[in-house]
Amino acid sequence: MSRPHQYIALVTSLPHLGKLFTRKEVPISEYRLKQRLSMLEPEHARLLRKIVEITAWSGVAKYREDRDVIRRATQVVADLKDFPDLQHLVGTRMETRTLIAALRRRRDGQESAGDIKTWGYGRWCSRIRENWNDPAFGLGHFMPWIGDAHRLMQAGDQIAMERLALTQVFRQLDHYNALHEFDFEAVAIYVLRWVIVERWSRYNADDAAERLKQLMAAALGHDTGTDAPAGERDLFANPSVAFDGAPS
Amino acid sequence: MNEFVVALGWFGLFAPVALGAIGSAWGCALGGSAAIGAMLDSDGGYGRFIGVSLMPSSQVIYGIVIMFSLQQAQIDAANGAALFGIGLLSGVTMLFTGIRQGEVLASAIHASKAKPEIFGISLAPAAVLEGFSVFALVFALVLAGSIPS
Repeated sequence: MSRPHQYIALVTSLPHLGKLFTRKEVPISEYRLKQRLSMLEPEHARLLRKIVEITAWSGVAKYREDRDVIRRATQVVADLKDFPDLQHLVGTRMETRTLIAALRRRRDGQESAGDIKTWGYGRWCSRIRENWNDPAFGLGHFMPWIGDAHRLMQAGDQIAMERLALTQVFRQLDHYNALHEFDFEAVAIYVLRWVIVERWSRYNADDAAERLKQLMAAALGHDTGTDAPAGERDLFANPSVAFDGAPS
Repeated sequence: MNEFVVALGWFGLFAPVALGAIGSAWGCALGGSAAIGAMLDSDGGYGRFIGVSLMPSSQVIYGIVIMFSLQQAQIDAANGAALFGIGLLSGVTMLFTGIRQGEVLASAIHASKAKPEIFGISLAPAAVLEGFSVFALVFALVLAGSIPS
């Protein structure tokens, strides 16, 4: 099959993922998904692996430093030069992560953004630095979810916080999904959505509560792995979320 | 000059079939690819996916009908230009509607897989495109009657 036909067959062979939080399990297993993705051209398969690596939590977790994640994201965005929408998507995702990292740093008592270029990515770094004490970093007028995220984080409602973050990421994916139907971008967006749905389906409220309990114990100093000062932690790889799979 | 017009006439005579066949092949390939993909993800209803994917095959049939209606006992300077104009433009219409029909059918198959209840209504855009092909066919037949023989 030629390339357009190949991608039409691939996209139509992928089951509908539905709305976020409505499914208890993914409609297609990882094995089957990988099998279907074998229809991708080798170069596209390589790019997709890179995108997933930098956007999914499991890929980011292997980096010890935030600056390594930022460097990698910059490389991935440069590598996607033929796919501007995917560049924007990865960039927007990293910016969302930066905003959540900033909220966490502030919650943990950091008094200023510090050298934000070492842990932040994208357009909002200077805005975050200049508006550190504003609940929404001065971005609330066009990203009202930041204010909501701030309130949830202050209230310690990790589950609602993760839902909010994932909803934002899903919205971003939906926006770009509307622009592509039968091409590589459509496949990449499907896979990113699948990663989120699959991660969410792994957890339930009991698991989340148990994990939160462990994290609180760790925060009180019972776990030597998480007692570093807030400013020295890898916030892109911050384990202080209820769902370690949440690729927010 | 006359030979050139005669050549154009022959070109116009066969254009609806050739361009219609290309449009049908392209459209059926697009719709067929979607149908094959949908069958991988479905436990039934294969027939309807394949059935709708064949919808663009009508363009080549219309092209054949137009060719027969344009056929003359002799192609010469008097009718060559008319055959060229009617044949070429109706052929381009068949080509374009065939490809576009394949695209909307692929979208319809994809959408109806997620929401089976919209299968019928999702075919409406393809039906409208079919209507445009029929317009081109009917008026090509009307004009074919006024070509000087």
